Parts: sequence; structure tokens; C-alpha cells
Amino acid sequence: MRKVFIPETQAELFDIIACNPKSRMFAGGTDLLVKLRSGQFDSDDLVSLERIDELKGVEDYGDEVFIGACTTHSALIADPVIQMHFPVLVKALRVLGSPQIRNMGTIGGNIVTASPAGDTLPPLYLLEADLELKTKDSSRLVGIKDFIKGPGRNDLAPGEILARVRLRKCPAYNLQHYEKVGQRNSLAISIVSLAAVLNVSDKGIITEVRFSWGSAGPTVITCKEAEAVLAGRPVSNESLEKAARLARKAVKPIADVRASAEYRRQVSGNLILRIQGLLNGSGDSIQFAD
Amino acid sequence: MLNIGMSIPRLDARKKVSGLEKYAADFYGLDFVWAGVKRAGIPHARIRGIEIESAKKIPGVINVLTCRDVKGSNRQGVVRKDEPVLADDRVRHCGDAVALVIAEDKMALSRALEQIIPDYDPIPGVFDPEEALKTEAPLVHEDNPEKNLLMKGFLSTGCAENAFNECDAVVEACFEVPFQEHAYLETEAGWALLNKDDRLEIVVSTQTPFRDRAEVSEAIGIEEEKIRIIAPYCGGAFGGKDGVTVQSLLALAALCCPERPVKMWWGREESFISSAKRHMARLYYRLGAKSDGKFHALEARIYYDTGPYDHLGGVVMALGLEHAGGAYRIPNTDLKAWSVYTNNPVGGPFRGFGVVQVTAAMEQMVDMLAVELAIDPVELRLRNALGKGDKNPIGVTMSGSTGIEECLATLKGNPLWEDREKWKSKAGSFKRRGAGMTSVMQGMGYGPVVPDVANAKIELTEGGKFRVFCGVVDMGQGNATTYAQIACEVLGQDIRDMELVLPDTSKTLPSGSASASRTTYTFGNALIGAAEILKERILKCANRVFMNGEGSDIALIPGGVRNIPSGQEISLSEIAGLLGNSERLAVSRFQAPVSTETPAEDPILRVYGVPHVIFSFGAHAAFIEVDELTGRIEVVKYITVTDCGRIINPQLFEQQMQGGVAQGIGYALMEDFVTERGFVNTPDLATYIIPTAMDMPDMDSITVDAYEPTGPFGLKGAGEVACNGPLPAIANALADACGIRVLRSPLTPERVLAEMNKEK
Ligand SMILES: Cc1cc2nc3c(=O)[nH]c(=O)nc-3n(C[C@H](O)[C@H](O)[C@H](O)COP(=O)(O)OP(=O)(O)OC[C@H]3O[C@@H](n4cnc5c(N)ncnc54)[C@H](O)[C@@H]3O)c2cc1C
Repeated sequence: MRKVFIPETQAELFDIIACNPKSRMFAGGTDLLVKLRSGQFDSDDLVSLERIDELKGVEDYGDEVFIGACTTHSALIADPVIQMHFPVLVKALRVLGSPQIRNMGTIGGNIVTASPAGDTLPPLYLLEADLELKTKDSSRLVGIKDFIKGPGRNDLAPGEILARVRLRKCPAYNLQHYEKVGQRNSLAISIVSLAAVLNVSDKGIITEVRFSWGSAGPTVITCKEAEAVLAGRPVSNESLEKAARLARKAVKPIADVRASAEYRRQVSGNLILRIQGLLNGSGDSIQFAD
Repeated sequence: MLNIGMSIPRLDARKKVSGLEKYAADFYGLDFVWAGVKRAGIPHARIRGIEIESAKKIPGVINVLTCRDVKGSNRQGVVRKDEPVLADDRVRHCGDAVALVIAEDKMALSRALEQIIPDYDPIPGVFDPEEALKTEAPLVHEDNPEKNLLMKGFLSTGCAENAFNECDAVVEACFEVPFQEHAYLETEAGWALLNKDDRLEIVVSTQTPFRDRAEVSEAIGIEEEKIRIIAPYCGGAFGGKDGVTVQSLLALAALCCPERPVKMWWGREESFISSAKRHMARLYYRLGAKSDGKFHALEARIYYDTGPYDHLGGVVMALGLEHAGGAYRIPNTDLKAWSVYTNNPVGGPFRGFGVVQVTAAMEQMVDMLAVELAIDPVELRLRNALGKGDKNPIGVTMSGSTGIEECLATLKGNPLWEDREKWKSKAGSFKRRGAGMTSVMQGMGYGPVVPDVANAKIELTEGGKFRVFCGVVDMGQGNATTYAQIACEVLGQDIRDMELVLPDTSKTLPSGSASASRTTYTFGNALIGAAEILKERILKCANRVFMNGEGSDIALIPGGVRNIPSGQEISLSEIAGLLGNSERLAVSRFQAPVSTETPAEDPILRVYGVPHVIFSFGAHAAFIEVDELTGRIEVVKYITVTDCGRIINPQLFEQQMQGGVAQGIGYALMEDFVTERGFVNTPDLATYIIPTAMDMPDMDSITVDAYEPTGPFGLKGAGEVACNGPLPAIANALADACGIRVLRSPLTPERVLAEMNKEK
């Protein structure tokens, strides 16, 4: 019979981990329970993080914002600080799973799972998130890029937990964008996704631009070259096309039952082309009344 | 009393929504045991032996059975009985059942299933229906004299070969449509108990309780009289429970643990690997017309992949063949279809029953021809639409109500359709909009040879209410409510005073399957008959009480009978007390009308259901937006205009339209049961993608004013016709938007983008 521990404080949690080193933690369980059901590991004991309030919520420290690892996606979408400062993250969260999954799943779970298709990861790469990792008596801060080691692989040491995610408030980008291409409109695992933030001056010059792609390689893909051909120049179809070509070179997609590598590669670039229309405010609404 | 034409909410709605309704999957019982199946996991192999002894020794395992333990024929199937209950000498697809485990609990069950290791000698398989017809192809059934051919059908009129030379425009294409999984919410489930007196009771999620009883009896070797099958509401079926799933296996299990309930409930993955799918098909089409748009010649070569077993695959093929030319007058046709054995998943019945595939091909051909002739697609269809008395593409006279022309005309005048160019012109950047349409039709019932019969029973209870004994399963469509509504209408009662008895071989009367769009048509007619008989008895009895003469002016009112001249009333419970027990029960039989025409020289096609006499019709339109950057299609709006005769319950009707369209949109855009040399690449709902509510467009369900004289209150079947539309309507909209045709469906973003790349 499998045991399930439900600690209510971090201190309790660390004691349980210490006494049950083979146990597995879960927050929302939306990744873990799927793996458990498919028999990906034996019937180890489980530790629920759901009731530990210290690991939940958003704290605004002026320049920095800390997100508790066990904050659910729904809570983040509804949070005014996150809405105000990190729209790119909110956009990604809105297309993650379905209402049920967003109500249960957490940002910590999404990060630790380290799936190439994890929807929070491309925004967190752009925002250069740092992760606060804790044990009973230590704490360290690791950049997201260094934390994610590969598909399903991360930098957590045994006994360590992800406690908080640190984000620095960024300059006011005029465009924060996330587009996920999936097999359907909800409950869709990303075939490829693009996160983008841009700053365009009054004169129409791109002053700052960052891209990152999900499901286009073993971990999130970034592409300095594509950003470089755009930065300092006016937005134009030609330069976006150029950036798209560079992006297609940078990605390292695989083929699976959802899509071919070639499709992922082409669309990784294509998604950049959407940006001009978004800057012009051309609608994404396609109501029939239009 | 207003009943017919009213949106009376489903009688089962509250109980289902609140979780009180008991589905077959909800049966457990004291001291119950689990039964489970070892699946082949390999598409084609000889079985040298199956090691079961170590599994038997696992604590909690009650028994492990193989084909040697089956006393009956060990064969199931409705037409050709070619599917073993438990594999004997070979396995023919990954989902074949090779052994049956009965255990005290699920843990012991799963350990035992892992422990059973069949010794296989793999043999080459065949995975494509056309390949399978080649002489050198590996044989799926070595004893089949026609090798891998299950069934073929040829139909023709006029002389197509010459007629093509007389055409001003000819279009030609080859389409391929995939296997589609039913993906019902309730996976295959059942419960069985062998009673003290040796009677076997089976509660099962099925569309066919009476036929199941006969099948189980023969396969397992138990007398039919000893088997009772109880069929609660299904949690979805769509054709996937038309035929035996868990029944025979449960019977086997129950026989080896008398007086203990046995439960079997397939998991999603097991359901996916072993259940029947909509047939994959390849369709070669050629259609020609005169310059005025009159269709002149049609040729079709259609290959259905039936997988390793018949499972109604011959009948599905025959219905497809009958509908291959659509709802049009075409004087010269040459139509050929084959249903072919392979080592792919089992092909079987699925809403539309072979018609979905041919409609996808034919209706795209019509649009291609419209482009060629520069004629508006609705106009072109109107010029060729069948009317009553016309000969259809297989040369059979349309003798039932034929409302296709009204449907097309209604769509033509629909404001959204009329204004489509304006809507299309407003597409945003990297978006293209298109509007496409299609005709649809669906034959009803079993055809000319197999009697399409229902037997209805209705009772006036001692308490003065009415009990309707439903002969046909309600798998979620709501037909049980419609039955109550029909009885209310005849008897002048309130729906609240109706009680339903769901199908049960020892309570209700044999009335055929919940399939073929016949469910309400056939049983509804029988029920009107039974209710009329009962009404007459009640009125007669009331007349005696009122001391009236025959033919007096009296009427049934809710709960009673009123003597109109005097205003005097008598309650139905009083009447019930005055009637004898047998008088309170009325039964009636109805047999659907059949065609007397024989379209083919080959008489066997009649046995397989060709031709039908009653058809439902429709015209559909899809408004889509295509994204040039990803190839993704968004269906923004969908319109169905339908001729299903008179609508008894508009709400239930609309649900059938919406459900059919939803399933059709899944089929058109994303659903694809992918196999690779017989192995399944989409084993679960994470890889086999069905649409969500977020993928559904706003839908309008419009009806035309129609009446089918032979139908109950003028009704025709509505269960299937809608699902035929979305693929061709969306494909035609895609062609309208981008000028491309993706001949292999589903129309995934990847395929659409690849086709758009070619255009550039
Ligand atoms: C139907 C369905 C749809 C989905 N759709 C999407 C989607 O669209 N996009 C997407 O990105 N994901 C999706 N997912 C995956 C999943 O929902 C997300 O990754 C979610 O964010 C995981 O969070 P969780 O709290 O449920 O993780 P859990 O399952 O609780 O945990 C996941 C892993 O992280 C570890 N873990 C969790 N919290 C911590 C912590 N604080 N410290 C250390 N380790 C921890 C656990 O031990 C486990 O190994 C979907 C899942 C399902 C079942």
C-alpha cells in the first residue's frame, strides 16, 4: 500500500523527505499521476505539497517578484502583479491544458517536469527567471537555463525542492506574445510554440526583441541571430522573413506522432511573421459578425 | 396536450447529471470478481502455445482460460462469424483476446495478465486493403476461399464507360480517409452472474441486447433461454457497441465462478487497441457532366479496410456503395466497392456506417466539377438533386420523402451563405477565409431482406400511470424520452406520468438494434400501435363506467378519462382496477417498408441491405479560417439544413445535429487512428486527438418543412445523417479559401501547410 504524506509546512516537508528518501513529491499531480498510472515508476510513497501555504502565492518586492512554486496556473492568471508585469507568461498559462488542469497544475510542477513542450518555459527563458532551490538547511538560486538539463532532466539534487521562482520586472515591452500550435484549441500538447517580447520606439524602430521556442528542441531554443537582424531596425516583412530563416536554422526539432520535424522547423520561423500584424493591432478575433 | 414538436427535456437528464443513473460500468455487487483479457500485442502470428500455469498460481487468481475452455463455437460476428472469443491458433491484430483471467481483485488480475506469455511465431501481415487483394499477399484467414476479400459489390446504371466521352467536364481524384475511434466516454463494460438455477444474467453497455444473447449462446455454448441481457443507458456507443464486446468473455468468466458477480471494464488503452474503428478507406472517383451542369457519368472504386474480421464490414461496404453517388440523378454510373481483410484494427459500425467515407469523396468531386464548369456549388447540386420518383445513382426509384432540393434551396437563401463573400473579404493578415458546402443523405433501416422489426409493449399500471417497455437501447441519443413523448401524444398524458423500462431480454420485446437511424422510426411506429390498442381498451372500459354507448364523445385527459357531454371523470387508476392484468398490457409489432427493386445482378447485395427506401437528407455549410503560417483550420460557423421528416423533439434533434457535426469535425480536422504495420501509434487520448468544446464552431440547425408518411408522426431518422457533412464541407471550404485539396484526411495543419507550400 502506498503512503501519501500531506505536510502543512516546509519544516514538516523536509522531515518527511529525510525519513522517506525514496518518496516522490507532487504539487498538482497533473504530471506525476499520469506517470504513476502508466507505471513509469514503482509504488513509492508520495508527498503532497498542496497544503504548504509558504510555497504558494505571489510576492511583489518592487523590482523583483517571487512566485511560490506551488502556485497554480489559474491563480497566476488571476494575479494582478503577474498580469501587469508579465503578460507573456499569462498568455502562455492561458493556453496551458484546460481549466481543470490550470486549477490543479502548478508553475513549479511545470518547471521541474522540464518537458520540451512545457508552456511556461519559453516565457520563463525570456524573462530570465531564477529558481530558488531549497533543502532542509540550504538554499541556492539557479537560472532557468542552467536548471533545465534536457527533456525531463533538471538540476534538482536529492532532497531538494523548488521553493520559488524569481522574476525581475522588465521594461515595458509594447508587445508580449505567446503562440502555441497544438492539435486542437484546448488540452493540446504544443507542437511548436513561440514566446516573444518586443519594444518598438515611436518611430517604429525595434529597440529590444527576444524570442524563445518550445517543442523545437530538447530544451527551449533561443536564437540571438534572429534577434540581431531585427534589433535597431524598423519592423518590416523583409527583416521578419530574415529572422524567420535564422530561426529555422536554430531549432532542433524532432518528429513524433503529432508532427514532423520539418513542419516544426518551418512553423518555428513562420510564427515570427505574425509579429507585424500584432503590432498593427490586426485582430485575432474571428467572430462571425466580423 | 401538446407533445409532438415540443422540446421536452430528456427524462434521464437529471439522473445523469447528478450521477445517479447507473451505467453498466457502475455494477459491482457483493463479493464480485474481476475478469480481464490478455491482448495479443502483435498484429499477425501463429500461437505455438500459451503459458498460463504460473499466472494461475498467483494468489487471488481464480482461473485463467484460453480457447480450449470455450464449449461453444468460439466464434462471434453478425454476418460472417469469423472472430474468435479467445484466439485459437493465431492472432490477426494487436487487440485480439488470447486469454481470460478471473481474479479476486484488480491487482491480482494485472499481475496475472503480465505473467501470461504466449509463444508466438510471427507471420508477415498485410496492412493496406489494396495490397491485401494482390495474389501474393499474406492471408488473414487461410480458410477464406476468396482470400483476403470479405465482400465485394458492383452496381451500375446506363453505360459509364461511353458516357464519359460525352461529358464536357470530367474530374478525377483519389481520396483516403483514416480509421476513426469512437472514443465514447464509457469504455466497454459489463457485469455477469451465473445464478443458482444456472441462468446467466449479463448487464452490458450494448446497442444490441437481443442479438447479443444469440451470439453469446452460440459462441459459449449456453442455451439462449438461459441468458438474460440487460442494457442500461450507454455512456456513448456511436456504433462501437453494435455487436459483442465484453459479453462472451463475461459469460465465460461467470461460468467458472457460479453465484459470484463478475465485472469487466476495459481501460481506455484496451478499448483503443481492441475496439472496432470506422473503416479506413481509399476511394478512386471520376465524375463527368455536360456543360449545363447535368451530371452524366460517375465511376467509383472504393476499398474499405475491415481489419481482420467481418464485424459488419460487408454491410458497411454495401451501404457506402449504395450512397456512393450521393443525392443526385446520374444516368450512367459504374460503382465498385471491396471490403478487405488486413491485420489492422477491426473496422466496424460507426455512425454513418460507410456513408461518411463516400460522401467525403463524392461531395468534393461535385465541388471540383463546379469549379471546372464555373457553376455555383449550390446551384450545381440543385440542378442534379434527386426528387421523389427519380432514379438514384444505383438506378433505384426514390419512393420516400425526398427533401434534398428543399435543403439546398434553404441553404442557398440563408443570409450567412448569401453574404459569404463579404465575410471572406474581411480575413486578417496571414488568414484566408472560405465557405464550403455539401449535400448529405443517409438511408434508414436494414434494407430489403433482414426484417426491420420492432415490438412495443406498454402497460397501464395499477397506479394509473403508463409504463413503456423500450425495445431499443438509448445509447445517449435520448430516444427513450422520445418514446415516452410518442406514448404521451397517443394517450393524451403528461410526460411525468410515463415510466420507462429499459431494454432487458426478459422484460422488453425484441426490437432490433439501436443503429441504422432506425431507432425511433421503427420502434416509434410499433409504440404508436401499442398505445392505440391500450387507448381503445381504456376508452371502452370508461364507456362502460359512464354507461355510454359505443362511439360516445369521451377523451383521455392527463390521469383520467372525461365524459365530454356530462363532464364526468374517471381516473386511470380506477380504470386500471377494472381492467384485467393482461388487458392493462398492449403490444404491437411494426415492420419497416422495403424496396422491391433489385439494382444489381448479384442478389447478395440485397441481403447486405441494398437498396433502402427511406432516406434523410441535408445541406451543410462550413465557414472556415485558414492560417497561412501554421496551416491550421478554424471552423468559425457551421450550418446544417436537414430533412428528417417531422421533428418530434427539437431539442433532441438539435443535439443529434450538433453531436454529428462535432464528431464530423473531429474526423475532418484531427482524428486519425495511426497504425504502423499493424501496431498502434495512437494508443490513448493523449495521442489520438478528439475535438474539445473549444474547437466547436457556433452551429445553426435548420430544418425544412417535411413529413415522411410512413414515419411515426412523420419522422425520419436523425442519428447519423449529420456526421457525413463536415469533412466534405470543410474540405470544400479549404479549396474555396486557398485553392488546394488535401486528398488525405484529416486536414491537419501539417498537411494543409504542405499543400499551400506547393501552391507557392
Ligand atoms: C490533460 C493534461 C493536459 C496538460 N496540458 C499541458 C499543457 O498544455 N502545457 C503544459 O506545459 N503542460 C501540460 N500538462 C502537464 C502539467 O499539467 C503541467 O506540467 C503542470 O504545470 C504540472 O504541475 P503539477 O503541479 O501538476 O505537477 P506535479 O505532477 O505535481 O509534479 C510534476 C513533477 O514535478 C515535481 N515537483 C512538483 N513541484 C515541485 C517542487 N515544488 N519542488 C520539487 N519538485 C516538484 C514532482 O515531483 C513531479 O516530478 C498537462 C497535463 C495533463 C494531465
